[in-house]
Amino acid sequence: MSNKSLEGLKILEMTEAWAGPVCASLMGDMGADVIKIESFPRHSLTRPTSPRYATMPGEGPVYERDALHHQGNRNKRNMAIDIRKESGKEIFKKLLLDADVFIEGYAAGKIEKLGFGWQDVQKINPNITMISIAGWGLEGPYKNMVTLGAGLDATTGHLSLRGYPQGDFVDTHPNFHSDATGSSTIFFAALTALLQRKKEKKGTFIDLSQWEGLVWQFPAILAEWTMNKRIPERLGNNDPHIVPHGVYRTIEEDKWIVVAAEDDNQWQGLCEVIGKIEWTDLMHQYSNIVGRIKGRTEIDAAIESFTKQYDGFTAAEILQNNHVIASPVVTPPDVLLSNQLHERDWHQTVNHKWTGPIMVGGHLWNVEPDTLSWDIPTALVGQHNEEILTELGFDHDYISALYANGTIGNHYEN
Amino acid sequence: MVQPLNDMCVIEISDSIAGSACTKTFSDYGARVIKVEPFSGNKIRRMPPFKEDIPDINGGAYHLSFDTGKESVIIDYSSNSGLEILDRLYQLSDLVIFDTEVEKTKKLRNIINGNNYPSTVSITPHGMSGPFKDRLENDMSILAWTTRMYRNSMENMSPLRNAPGSTLVQIGHTAAAVAVGIYWGQKQDKIRRDAEVAGVEAVLGNVDTGFVSWIFTGNLPERIGGQLKTRYPTGIYPCKDGHVILSANEEPWFSRLCNAIGHPEILQDSRFIEDRENNWQAFMEYLGPYLEKHDKNYIFTHLQEHGVMVAPVLNASDLLDDPQAKARKSFVKIDSAIGEHYLAGAPFHLNKINDESFKLKSAPKLGAHTNMLLNELGYTKEEIIALFRAKITG
Repeated sequence: MSNKSLEGLKILEMTEAWAGPVCASLMGDMGADVIKIESFPRHSLTRPTSPRYATMPGEGPVYERDALHHQGNRNKRNMAIDIRKESGKEIFKKLLLDADVFIEGYAAGKIEKLGFGWQDVQKINPNITMISIAGWGLEGPYKNMVTLGAGLDATTGHLSLRGYPQGDFVDTHPNFHSDATGSSTIFFAALTALLQRKKEKKGTFIDLSQWEGLVWQFPAILAEWTMNKRIPERLGNNDPHIVPHGVYRTIEEDKWIVVAAEDDNQWQGLCEVIGKIEWTDLMHQYSNIVGRIKGRTEIDAAIESFTKQYDGFTAAEILQNNHVIASPVVTPPDVLLSNQLHERDWHQTVNHKWTGPIMVGGHLWNVEPDTLSWDIPTALVGQHNEEILTELGFDHDYISALYANGTIGNHYEN
Repeated sequence: MVQPLNDMCVIEISDSIAGSACTKTFSDYGARVIKVEPFSGNKIRRMPPFKEDIPDINGGAYHLSFDTGKESVIIDYSSNSGLEILDRLYQLSDLVIFDTEVEKTKKLRNIINGNNYPSTVSITPHGMSGPFKDRLENDMSILAWTTRMYRNSMENMSPLRNAPGSTLVQIGHTAAAVAVGIYWGQKQDKIRRDAEVAGVEAVLGNVDTGFVSWIFTGNLPERIGGQLKTRYPTGIYPCKDGHVILSANEEPWFSRLCNAIGHPEILQDSRFIEDRENNWQAFMEYLGPYLEKHDKNYIFTHLQEHGVMVAPVLNASDLLDDPQAKARKSFVKIDSAIGEHYLAGAPFHLNKINDESFKLKSAPKLGAHTNMLLNELGYTKEEIIALFRAKITG
């Protein structure tokens, strides 16, 4: 295996839920030595102690079998430390000494109370990058407020324009877009700070508001208001300037397909497939974009007459072969059926002590000549306590004492 | 203060939102970003909205937002003469971002040969290989491949997309992460790298998809809309003047909520202790009146004081006046082709809030920097005229 891009970097991650943990996994994918510092004895949000909807049935601790936790925690080593205890603080100070990045996700002010605010951390290691990822940042009237990704989505204006145009707004499914994109924001911020460190020869503190990390990604929402004093409407899957652009039924119950034709060439291909070649005649009202915008209902009905003859995969194949934008709306089991994903060896199979061999989602990117791999399956709580403490110079007896006095642990109480 | 990426040069050869979104953050933190465009301009220049609904190649909202601080050069790289310019451009740069069709990207990447050239990132919908590599996709059709559309819907009703363009932005943002990662790597070990971001994989492999949960449990995501009535209160709830979103179904948030709304007795009520999943209606007899009585901003501040995860559902008109956004100067006034307007500011703050590590500069007019760049690349005046006359540059 060749060198990996982030080899040699040591990352300390003290975050929960998704954005912070996923960022750290992405760093681990690229070769960084990532150590997750788990909350102890309190278990984190993704480490439930009683079964819930995302828990794999079977033996072993419930908190080791939660899908939400596994999604965000590959390629890390794991320590579970009670850093409220002086002996826990001592361990964490040692970890900080040669770390490059420390990512923390507590609500504003909490990490200072624990003795590891930026003023403290930079005294321990002046070269470190410390990133705080509180939902709304560390300054401002919302700094103490707590949220998950869905709350951030709601306050950017994104949620307000999602959902069925004619339906009840409460039927809109909340989503966690900020978690998915937040991981990339934290990653970029960390590397930007490390590049600055190369020049300035000193560490940096980053105040990363996950809300600010998300809001720039929806330029049209703000611009509709600032340019035209309009509040964007809920459009469902329509596009006011593109017809067709929608989701259509297939032959399978409650299974769907996306179809769109954004220009006259794609329209030609679509009409050939759905048996409406006359709609491409120059004199026909639907042969041009302006005419099609006026005929959305009839065009949508014709497309659905076609798509309802096939399953989504087959219809998409036919349409794509004729240069039309089309994709099945996949369900989780469908992800296993994708020839494309299999051809690219995207799925990863990992063996975890309590879940056994499982197929999970693959990497977000590939890098040549590096080889990305899922080297460390999602670690057990405290799995690497001894290994890391030994690296830090603690001896066996001392480590045993740390377990005995509750400074470190490798299991949670129910 | 020197911006952190000020010694870096990034080339963007892109024809979708993703490539532009990828390089924006580099530009805003100081990198020189050279945007190579066709004569008709990058597609995002044609993305609405436009001021007063008047289409303007230099005035679209996506262009003004995502092309901040970049240089725009027009090069027809379908010709050998155009490729020769790109070759010089590559050697000037540290990183090249491709976001074009697979075969076109391969051709543009083939020029790169040896460690003196920059690392690259290639963004495509399905990747550079495999049976789907040449498929036509857009923002919505890529999302359809990721299970997120399926989940964002109700049973027997059509799956729903997110905000237009947001999937491509996520893909571009993902590409920015790996781009800065391999740039760091090349700085460390002098190894040139080629990264590939397949849009479907980038979204499907991230969180908020149902794939891993299904592997673990065999259960499909619940498609029941915005309110989970078995694990509550979670989701969207109407209030006096709009809606709020709650995440208070688990402890300690459930207890905090019950105390905050003045009904601690819920916590002793056997209906909610032993059979909570079947008593949503009964619970709403307590929560409903509280929500009806108060507006979203009161609920936000009041429940948050009790440590409850709640947020108001805001729309575009609320954003600029949001107290937090105002306090942090989260939106920045900028002067560009359409005059003064607001853009979102720094996605993260180095050193201290709103220091000079992040700067928003206006987006370039189409082709504004072509001649300057050709000069810099060493072309003579006669050569520059020849390229212009042959419609290689513009």
